[in-house]
Amino acid sequence: MASRGGPQRPNGASQGKICQFKLVLLGESAVGKSSLVLRFVKGQFHEYQESTIGAAFLTQTVCLDDTTVKFEIWDTAGQERYHSLAPMYYRGAQAAIVVYDITNPDTFGRAKTWVKELQRQASPNIVIALAGNKADLASKRMVEFDEAQAYAEENSLLFMETSAKTAMNVNDIFLAIAKKLPKSETSGTPQPRQGVRLNNEQGGQQSEGGCCK
Amino acid sequence: MPVLGTAQFGVRTFYAASHPHDKCGANGLPVTPNSVKILGRFQCLTSLSHHRLCQYLDISKTKHECMIIVSEHHPQCLKEKLKSEGTFSEEQIVHTGFQILEGLVHLHDNNVTHRNLGLENVLLDQEGNVKLSEHGLYYMTDYGADVSFPIGLPRYMPPEVLCSGPVRVDDDSGKCIQPLSGPKADVWTFGILLLELILGQEMWSDLGINEKLQKILQFVKSDMSPFDILCQNNATAQKLQALSLEMRDVIRQCLIVSSSKRVKSGDLYQHPLFKAERAKAVPPKKDFTMCTTELRCENLELPTYEETIANEFSDDHLSQRNMQEVYYLWRLAGGDLESVLKKAGMSKTRPPVNLLPCFGILDGDVFGQDRDYAELLDNTVIKLNQEQLRHRLRDIPPRAYYPRLEDEAKQLDGQQLPTSPSCGELTTSATLPLIIRERDVEYQFHRIILYDRLLIAYPFKRAHIWREARVDIPPLVRANVWAALLEVEGDVQGAYDAIDKETPTATDRQIEVDIPRCHQYHELLSSPTAHGKFKRVLKAWVLSNFGHYVYWQGLDSLCAPFLALNFNNEAMAFACLSAFIPKYLHKFFLKDNSPVIQEYLAVFSHLIAFHDPELSNHLDGIGFIPDLYAIPWFLTMYAHVFPMHKIMHLWDTLLLGNSSLPLCIGVAILQQLRDRLLSFGFNECILLFSDMPEIDIERCVHDSIKIFCSTPKSATYRQHARAAKSRNVEERPNVSYYSRDYNEMPRTELSMEPIPMDELKGEKCPRISAEDLIELGELAGAGFSRSPTKKRQGSKPMIFIVDVRSQEDYRRGTIQGSINIPFQTAFSPEGELVPGPAVSTLNQKRSQVIVVLGNRGRSASNFANELVRLGYSRVCVLHKGIDVFRTTGLIIVPPADI
Repeated sequence: MASRGGPQRPNGASQGKICQFKLVLLGESAVGKSSLVLRFVKGQFHEYQESTIGAAFLTQTVCLDDTTVKFEIWDTAGQERYHSLAPMYYRGAQAAIVVYDITNPDTFGRAKTWVKELQRQASPNIVIALAGNKADLASKRMVEFDEAQAYAEENSLLFMETSAKTAMNVNDIFLAIAKKLPKSETSGTPQPRQGVRLNNEQGGQQSEGGCCK
Repeated sequence: MPVLGTAQFGVRTFYAASHPHDKCGANGLPVTPNSVKILGRFQCLTSLSHHRLCQYLDISKTKHECMIIVSEHHPQCLKEKLKSEGTFSEEQIVHTGFQILEGLVHLHDNNVTHRNLGLENVLLDQEGNVKLSEHGLYYMTDYGADVSFPIGLPRYMPPEVLCSGPVRVDDDSGKCIQPLSGPKADVWTFGILLLELILGQEMWSDLGINEKLQKILQFVKSDMSPFDILCQNNATAQKLQALSLEMRDVIRQCLIVSSSKRVKSGDLYQHPLFKAERAKAVPPKKDFTMCTTELRCENLELPTYEETIANEFSDDHLSQRNMQEVYYLWRLAGGDLESVLKKAGMSKTRPPVNLLPCFGILDGDVFGQDRDYAELLDNTVIKLNQEQLRHRLRDIPPRAYYPRLEDEAKQLDGQQLPTSPSCGELTTSATLPLIIRERDVEYQFHRIILYDRLLIAYPFKRAHIWREARVDIPPLVRANVWAALLEVEGDVQGAYDAIDKETPTATDRQIEVDIPRCHQYHELLSSPTAHGKFKRVLKAWVLSNFGHYVYWQGLDSLCAPFLALNFNNEAMAFACLSAFIPKYLHKFFLKDNSPVIQEYLAVFSHLIAFHDPELSNHLDGIGFIPDLYAIPWFLTMYAHVFPMHKIMHLWDTLLLGNSSLPLCIGVAILQQLRDRLLSFGFNECILLFSDMPEIDIERCVHDSIKIFCSTPKSATYRQHARAAKSRNVEERPNVSYYSRDYNEMPRTELSMEPIPMDELKGEKCPRISAEDLIELGELAGAGFSRSPTKKRQGSKPMIFIVDVRSQEDYRRGTIQGSINIPFQTAFSPEGELVPGPAVSTLNQKRSQVIVVLGNRGRSASNFANELVRLGYSRVCVLHKGIDVFRTTGLIIVPPADI
């Protein structure tokens, strides 16, 4: 079992600034979104990770030099239907990881759709990472690394192949996102009452569509 | 399920083939262990009951893929009888052969091939009747694919089995791909078996294995009928030629080399040789099915009482109970398979140091710990001793085996609620914790027998079942009791069969990725057999609701408990699921269900504030709103968040409540975690619920009932709840005011009505309807009530009314018993209640339900919100304010001194 906990826990004496970012995971069902989060946040892996209903919410903190980056992670249900239920998922997210399964080309297609949607609808400065998960199943690979990387470059996405099972690149992809996020004092959302705030925000944006109609 | 009779329970073991380490299947998940596959395939064998087959009862797996099979057993087998008697007469052979054939035909009718028939596996009961055993080994092991030993004895192998070679297994799916032996293989074996009976000895007993197989293969090379070849043999010719023509014809037809030309077992059954036997044969009794369109009284024969029969009647009442039940009790009475095996020296434990491999390679495969192949299948049968069980039940009087159901009539007249199961002595046990009751053999005995009788009388005895279920539900009968509580009836199987579950649909991919993640810690549900059933039941649901409801992730979890209970009865699992969803999850699976769920969550928030304002204030304060954690709770009725054994106990109660009970369960869960939640911030709360923490379910159930009973019905009103069903409502026993849905009550102008979502979300407290207020406050006098339980002390909440309108309005008319605290002047700038006599009265009544009464405006709900903020519990607002009472004549002028 890999080490528990995230890559670098903040120590209490940390001096630097603290930034809080909302990160959302998107992708087809059963590509391993929850497994990636579970590996990143708790260092665990369940072979038969249950499906996510609605959304699961977790937080994890990483340290970058003198900055503490706190991720609020929205792990969404893969089934698209659920996106009508909780409209707050990717609204206002500063980062997104779009996940696909390297053994299933359909999920890569679905990932591309998600990227398009994010580029069109999410905030313009959103950092998008593409994760080709289940890299441990390389023998069953159906999506070539080069193909995915070329696509990621075209769309200026961060790209890594990951494995929640072996923990390969899991922390790295979150760290890479943390590095790319702007960390000026004004960025991030340091308010502690994120849940409520987001909820209110949803009320204000109802006219945009996609939310609870 | 047959009755025990003189049967014993026998245990056999064998080892499933183990997979190489870390092997993954096509979907990237680890390959299902063969033991789990066998576990799944075994299940349907337990429902394959026939008087010529030994009943399969149980399977379990232990270390190293060792399978333990429990089945009916009889001490004598045909082999021994043949040995002791030397030869059989032809008449005897026809008799025994026919009984074997009866068993085979039943197997073949159910698409099971025995493939393991032999003198050793034909058991004889005390009357000398045939009971085939080991008939399921070939089937449960996926035609031998899941084990690494061959199935069947060499001398009985038909040529086609020998020619097709060893079992081949598909690497990806793990399925058997060898041409499978069909029922015709059994026909060949049956022919050999007849020969052995005729000859009075085993075929080729003096030959080694290779020579035996050669003998069989020689048949293939020859153009002659194998029977004629055998007739030429000097040793056997004489006996064979002495046989009747019919017998010779039967054997000749069985021993046809080409399996396609070989006779079918069904045709053999009709052979003239068995004419006399056929005439004597008794058709097997039909098993009890709870839901059927056939008349159960169709073949009913009322026994006539005669002295002679009475004398014959067995004293051994336990032997009249069905085998599954006796086995279940045997286990409760301390029966433990593993210790039985250990005692018999069958589970050999080797010191771990001897199990170390010689070397391993990097990907985890290890070498050099070869299995002893002779150990893989053990043909010895260990008898389970029934003494302990009989000893435990020795003091039970005979009449307890046949409890009377009709005494309850008196109880009903007295309008009493059931306080105990029908057997009086059990009252004390009924108060013990559920876990203890479920393991108490005597208690379970009484309960099972009672339920057994009630279920036979379903749906007539529905009301009685309902009442008993309020005490508890024995695990053994849970499947049928749940179906009864869900009011499943009619042609369940026919309705299920009529749905096309095979044609691919658009939801297939979603269902297929969800199933291998649904309750997979549960051995049975993780088997491929279960996955197939899951898929069919879910598809059936989606198709039968097509155009109306859609598949949402979570439906799989909802299906799991029903499937686990009705593993051998998909149709019943489907029927229960189909009855459960409209009752508790009406409209939840609409394509756009967000108004339904948003309303549900809003009502849930109200309920938290109503029962635990402090917790509600804290959670609201940190932004930990139900939307973040409670959607999977409600969408799956907790089936997604609890392990199976907890769901069983939770739903035992859930099924008795109406559609508001799940909300109360949610509050009970929060209350159980209250201390932690109160001390936690947002992140810790989120983490806590990301894995559902340990919840004491019995306590949770108990608390939720309390919460339920102390909540006015209208407080959980939801406009999206199921509207009144015209049928059935009156049939269901009106055991309590609370077991009915609010929506099922007749609607008047005093009832609740839909509230716009933003209004609902803006309020912290639930609303109470005028009719509820009249009912609970006994405003119309004590005699007016719709609740049969109202007379019981403490069974309903006490009401305290606070009129928050201005003093003038109040003086002009209010509701009896109310006090006046005008909203305008009630609160100090600091947000505290301004002290005064009315406020003191309010503080004295803090344990009661506080109903805030206002005009149509928002002042009442604002006042209520403030009370919640100040930590007042059980606050609710009168829906539509005082105006609603204008027509009731219940408005009074308050006494001047208040």
